Amino acid sequence: MKTLLKVQSLKKYFPVYGGLLSRVIGQVKAVDDVSFEIKEGEILGLVGESGCGKTTVGRMTLRLLEPTSGKVFFEDTDILKLKGKELTMIRPKMQIIFQDPYSSLNPRFTVERIIGEAISVHGLAQGNDLQKKIETLLEKVGLSRMYLKRYAHEFSGGQRQRIGIARALALNPKYIVCDEPVSALDVSIQAQIINLLQSLQKEDNLSLMFISHDLNVVKHLSQRTAVMYLGKIVEMAPTELINRKAAHPYTQALLASKPSLDPTDRKRPKPLQGDVPSPLNPPSGCHFHPRCPKVVDRCKTEIPRQIELEEGHTVHCHLYDE
Amino acid sequence: MRPQDPLLEIQNLSTFFHTEENIVRSVRNVDLTIYPGETVALVGESGCGKSVTSLSIMRLVPVPPGKFENGRILFKGKDLLKASELEMQKIRGNEIGMIFQEPMTSLNPIFTIGDQIIEAICLHQDKNKDEARKLALEVLKKVAMPSPEQRIDQYPHELSGGMKQRVMIAMSIVCQPCLLIADEPTTALDVTIQAQILDLLDDLRKETNMSILLITHNLGIVAQYADRVAVMYSGKIVEQTSVENIFASPAHPYTKGLLNSLPKDEISKQLETIPGTVPHPAFLPEGCAFHPRCAEKMDLCVQKNPELLPLKDSREQHQTACWLYSE
Repeated sequence: MKTLLKVQSLKKYFPVYGGLLSRVIGQVKAVDDVSFEIKEGEILGLVGESGCGKTTVGRMTLRLLEPTSGKVFFEDTDILKLKGKELTMIRPKMQIIFQDPYSSLNPRFTVERIIGEAISVHGLAQGNDLQKKIETLLEKVGLSRMYLKRYAHEFSGGQRQRIGIARALALNPKYIVCDEPVSALDVSIQAQIINLLQSLQKEDNLSLMFISHDLNVVKHLSQRTAVMYLGKIVEMAPTELINRKAAHPYTQALLASKPSLDPTDRKRPKPLQGDVPSPLNPPSGCHFHPRCPKVVDRCKTEIPRQIELEEGHTVHCHLYDE
Repeated sequence: MRPQDPLLEIQNLSTFFHTEENIVRSVRNVDLTIYPGETVALVGESGCGKSVTSLSIMRLVPVPPGKFENGRILFKGKDLLKASELEMQKIRGNEIGMIFQEPMTSLNPIFTIGDQIIEAICLHQDKNKDEARKLALEVLKKVAMPSPEQRIDQYPHELSGGMKQRVMIAMSIVCQPCLLIADEPTTALDVTIQAQILDLLDDLRKETNMSILLITHNLGIVAQYADRVAVMYSGKIVEQTSVENIFASPAHPYTKGLLNSLPKDEISKQLETIPGTVPHPAFLPEGCAFHPRCAEKMDLCVQKNPELLPLKDSREQHQTACWLYSE
């Protein structure tokens, strides 16, 4: 399989202003040195708790946010170097589906305009052709063409998310960032949307970055999983491997804190102590060390380097560094 | 197993909201019993009436537009729907505690957390400020708040989400209620924090023999922490039984659908789904409210609303509201 997206030591620091003259007094290291690849037709799951930088990574790969440093290659083009027309040309190939289906659709537009706007902006279809294309898209996501003239508020959460998916598909993208697309939906609707995403991905051989905090959903959908903690990817491996042989203590804790669906199997794994520290003032050394059950002295001072345990399984942890 | 009398008995409760255009039937003929020391989970999707049920128990439903159409809520044998406002004030926060879903918005931002806990103590107990502060510190220690001596004088914005939820729990248990209503207590929290909070609630329950009404949509939490489960759909309880039964042999098609739609261990197989969406509580379909989405629909389901009845051949208490199980 060919590599579609390649990210190299991506960083995003947000300045913090304060004091009388609103000078920069600090930095939030939202994303700190992240590298990964996504192959054609592959789903990469990106897991982590709130504030760990998963959304920031997703948006930077689309250049919806400018990274502080690092490189993003899309089909071998460095998209951070593109300007003006070149950038506009590459935009249709990468799209995003947002978390909140309530605030991500324009309330003043009809469904027809929400989906069709990007198509006409890029001049891909007009008039009758445009109309037909929108109808096909609606059918593809399982909505009736009767809905064309309706407004977003007339739909339920699941239907809105379908409209959001149709909008993302409108320009025949190759790569879609799905930013927690099901976390705002009810359980019975979640399954519908997950199935839809899965079949669309197969149909068009799409590459997806699936951002989520729900380990079950990521396990179900993605071929590879990356786990983030405080702006860094701490472990990355094929999904099956990470669930079977999680190496990083944080990944292990995440997997253990996922409640099991079997009432006869009530184990109380010791939950992680403490809270996620603020990215404004991250702990020294390995960011996870104040909560880590296996902490050693070295973790407090030295940032762990990336170690490859076996092919495709990387971890950032001193436990595996001899 | 249950020698005691029930602590809370909801009988045939209906809570409707009368709006200008129509009547929203949020809770319809709900029966629910909670015994001392047990955790009962109320499960369902958004808008199914879980929260209105819990607000009805506390009598926190605004009247009007809300109205208790019929039914009784017996707490220690006393009907809360007939209690005066003064009597309710003595029960709220004292005998029945409540934890809300969003710790971020349920605390008052302009008072320190100590002040807020002390307020609850002084309202219900005959204590002076110093004694109350001592008790507040004690309860903060009990909920495992890190460095409570400093935290007690901090404002809510200085605390993380998990710590705020600990404060909420501290506030709700400080008067040692016999019933704690926890309305989605961990939905707004991260997974690693979720386990801490739920373990804490469970330990407190065991220690003080209080009962917990746990409102959630997360079936994993239900499996790990509940003794009995009631599944709600469109304002009605459609199935009620022990937690083992609900996972081993669910009866109602909606419960089955919910359990089947969860991602399992087989990677990348298509998930089973429940087609369609939850009906709006102002426009409920005739007959069984679930029939438009039900795979096992019969003619009878469209015409008549099934009642919650015990299953014939089950040894344990297992009730369901479905025509499939009645002659």
